[in-house]
Amino acid sequence: MPLLEVSDLQKIYTSRFGANQVQALSSVSFQVERGEYVAIMGESGSGKTTLLNILAALDQPTRGEVQLNGKNLRSIKEKELAAFRRDNLGFVFQDFNLLDTFSVQDNILLPLVLAGKAYNEMNARLQPIARKLAISDIQAKYPYEISGGQKQRTAIARALITKPQLILADEPTGALDSRATAELLRLFREINDEGQTILMVTHSITAASHAKRVLFIKDGAVYHQLYRASMSTAAMYQKISDTLTLIATGGARK
Amino acid sequence: MKTQRKMKGSFYVRLALNNLRKNAKAYLPYLLTCFGTIAMFYNMCFLMLTRDIGPLSNSVSLRQILMFGAVIIGIFSAIFLLYTNSFLVKRRQKEFGLFNILGMEKRHVARIMALETLFTSAVSLVIGILTGILLSKLMLLLLFKILSANITFGFEIPGGAIRNTLCLFGIIFGLTLIYNIAQVYRAKPVELLRGGLVGEKEPRTKWVLAVIGILCLGAGYYLALTTEAPLAALGIFFLAVLLVMIGTYCLFAAGSIAVLKLLRRNKQFYYQSRHFIPVSGMIYRMKQNAIGLANICILSSAVIVVLSTTVSLYVGMEDVLRTRYPRNVIVNATDVSDRQAAALDTLIAEQAQLHDMTPQDVIRHRYRIFLTNQDGTEFVGDRDQYYAGQSMAMLVFMTRADYLAMGYQSVTLGPGEALLYVSRGHIPGEVVRFGAAGGDAGGAGGAAGTHGDAGYTLSIRERLNSFETVGQLTAMLAGSYYFIVNNDQTLTEIHNALFGKGAAMAERSYYYGFDVAAAPEAQISLVSALNTKLKEYGASQGVSGLYAEGAESERASFYTLYGGLFFIGLFLGLLFIMGTVLIIYYKQVAEGYDDKERYEIMQKVGMSRAEVRKVIRSQVLAVFFLPLITAAIHVAFAFKLITRLLVVFNLTNVPLFAACTGLTVLLFAVLYIFVYALTAKTYYQIVSQVRG
Repeated sequence: MPLLEVSDLQKIYTSRFGANQVQALSSVSFQVERGEYVAIMGESGSGKTTLLNILAALDQPTRGEVQLNGKNLRSIKEKELAAFRRDNLGFVFQDFNLLDTFSVQDNILLPLVLAGKAYNEMNARLQPIARKLAISDIQAKYPYEISGGQKQRTAIARALITKPQLILADEPTGALDSRATAELLRLFREINDEGQTILMVTHSITAASHAKRVLFIKDGAVYHQLYRASMSTAAMYQKISDTLTLIATGGARK
Repeated sequence: MKTQRKMKGSFYVRLALNNLRKNAKAYLPYLLTCFGTIAMFYNMCFLMLTRDIGPLSNSVSLRQILMFGAVIIGIFSAIFLLYTNSFLVKRRQKEFGLFNILGMEKRHVARIMALETLFTSAVSLVIGILTGILLSKLMLLLLFKILSANITFGFEIPGGAIRNTLCLFGIIFGLTLIYNIAQVYRAKPVELLRGGLVGEKEPRTKWVLAVIGILCLGAGYYLALTTEAPLAALGIFFLAVLLVMIGTYCLFAAGSIAVLKLLRRNKQFYYQSRHFIPVSGMIYRMKQNAIGLANICILSSAVIVVLSTTVSLYVGMEDVLRTRYPRNVIVNATDVSDRQAAALDTLIAEQAQLHDMTPQDVIRHRYRIFLTNQDGTEFVGDRDQYYAGQSMAMLVFMTRADYLAMGYQSVTLGPGEALLYVSRGHIPGEVVRFGAAGGDAGGAGGAAGTHGDAGYTLSIRERLNSFETVGQLTAMLAGSYYFIVNNDQTLTEIHNALFGKGAAMAERSYYYGFDVAAAPEAQISLVSALNTKLKEYGASQGVSGLYAEGAESERASFYTLYGGLFFIGLFLGLLFIMGTVLIIYYKQVAEGYDDKERYEIMQKVGMSRAEVRKVIRSQVLAVFFLPLITAAIHVAFAFKLITRLLVVFNLTNVPLFAACTGLTVLLFAVLYIFVYALTAKTYYQIVSQVRG
């Protein structure tokens, strides 16, 4: 059984008085196996963010289904959604979404505190993750005192600390410089090598070239996919680049 | 060319109007406050100047009270409006930045700002003054009702009132204009665009400030609780208010953060979903809002104190009148012999009969008054009549025979023994000493009743709980004590101890009071007839200081004073409430915008809407009810001091004041909760707005 199964997703946004209908997703289907590292690419407006919001149960599809670990997201009650999200999904955002009222440590611990864990257990989980992400010595600092790369590593730590089934990353390198980007991608690969499933939405070819599989979305549907297999990162980069050119110039193949 | 310039001009006007419309949610409360304060100030000026007050017997002192009210309202209006304006402008920094980036120079933005300020000022002045004029008749009716005066009819718009209002608010709006333009010029475009998003540093714990706060508050409370002497109360009240205000500001600013950080240090407590977000959020909130919350707290305390005291003074006015005039008609004569006193009795009886009135509940005192300076249980006389206001004490002495003549139960008193009744003041001890100024105040040894250079010592055999006091003494801001001693011999010795053997002791004074069952006008005419006769008699005997007075003759002036204070109390209460509401509203809006992003993030990392709402509620509740609770505590501590203060105003009815205070606190709390609920709604709307 795949970890994530997306079948025939459609999402139509209706403007307030029903005058305009916008189809963000027409029909999206794909599967993600446990331990996979999948990048979803597409141009602005291709429906990437909508897809991610539906996967995160922040939004409801107009048609179609999402199953995580065999559980249909639709079947989860509104009340339990927050807890479900907290326990099963980890989020990494482009703009980090750290709370400026919390120190680095408290930002990371937030999901565990919400889940009602004891402090000793929290701390036991925190230390190895902080060490791995090289943020042990900035734990007491506040988000405005640290660099963008450190912020994103903090956000990753926050996503990992609940031991989620799936990490959803939305343009995680979008606000980072090239060095911090390289560092982040190395970390993602390392985490993935340890068995963590990652689904990343991105614009960046560099970011996508580190993934094991890349899905291309165009006009609200999966247009193409690439498997890394034994390709090097450089070769993968070239492949993705070619595919994007093809999509942009309106190639007809599927 | 000309039309182009004209078009450009109207462009700015349109832009300014458009800005105001866009910011209506923020500007509306500000405008309402402008209308309110202008209308209130106009009305105070109107009442101060109106012709209708002319016929009142005490129009001059009433006008003075009203002027005092106008000055205070003016000061607070200025504070409120400047505060609110600064809040509004700070919120719009981003907008200015955008204008800058779109290619407007600062002088253009300043021009828009100036136009906006002009519009709001003009609208406020016009609507405010119109509202004021519409309400002025109503205010006059209310004032006359409170003063129990007859109402005259007529409609009047005093030019002076409009002029004063235009002047004061012209200056206030001028200041806001300067402030706003300075804000535009001081800001840098990039910073403007980022607005409030610049990384907010965690506030440092200012231990020194927290300690100062605790000390000030403690000292203020201590003063309030330990002050016994009503005379000292007035000075101490202001000192205590000042200390408590400083303490409140320090504690809200530093103490709150210190406490929250201590809570955060306790890991087991802090890392619970119930405490985690509120505690860390409050640390930031207190940094930005401590001063605002302290303001709310102090304003709330002011509302409660002002309203409860003026209401109880007004409600207790009859009490006060009776304390000041224990009988309807009172005749007082200083330095008269027993024969002259008997003649006065006949004179009074004749006059009463002439007016068809029978004196009832007669009280007669034969007494001596010595003016002294008090220091605890020491009383010092001064032949040069130099008495310090704070320590001045009036000692009323009666002999046992005079006391029994008043119809009290028989007592046995030895030499050096006395009964004591404390009308106002405090004697800390059961042995009092009398001495002369410049004499050796120390070495008071010796048994009770001894005298000589060391003074005279009197031991108090019993303290009386009630006594027919000499009314006019209650009007003086001095301690007054009544001593009953065994005989004239003792009295002479006390006199000599106070003023030396050389000083001649005057004859006793005579105090004759009685009630009559007659209409107020009849009573007034009796009092004036008595005064004429007393003058004649005094002249024939070569004694001065004979006069009659009556409660009815003075009632109007009491109503002017207490009613005037009550009226101003109502006005100030209303103004302070307006200020409190305003600050609460703007705090809610400001916090709403600050917290919006935070709650979005929390929802993304796995908090449900219900949880978010719960956290918001607990945090907002804590922040907004902190000032109310602190205000209630302040008032509770001030209670005793205020009762002492009210004694100076002759109000000794503590249960009445307690009831008034309780009721005021209750009503204020209800109003506060109502306002809070209304503004909290705005807060939720802002926080739950979906972005994009």
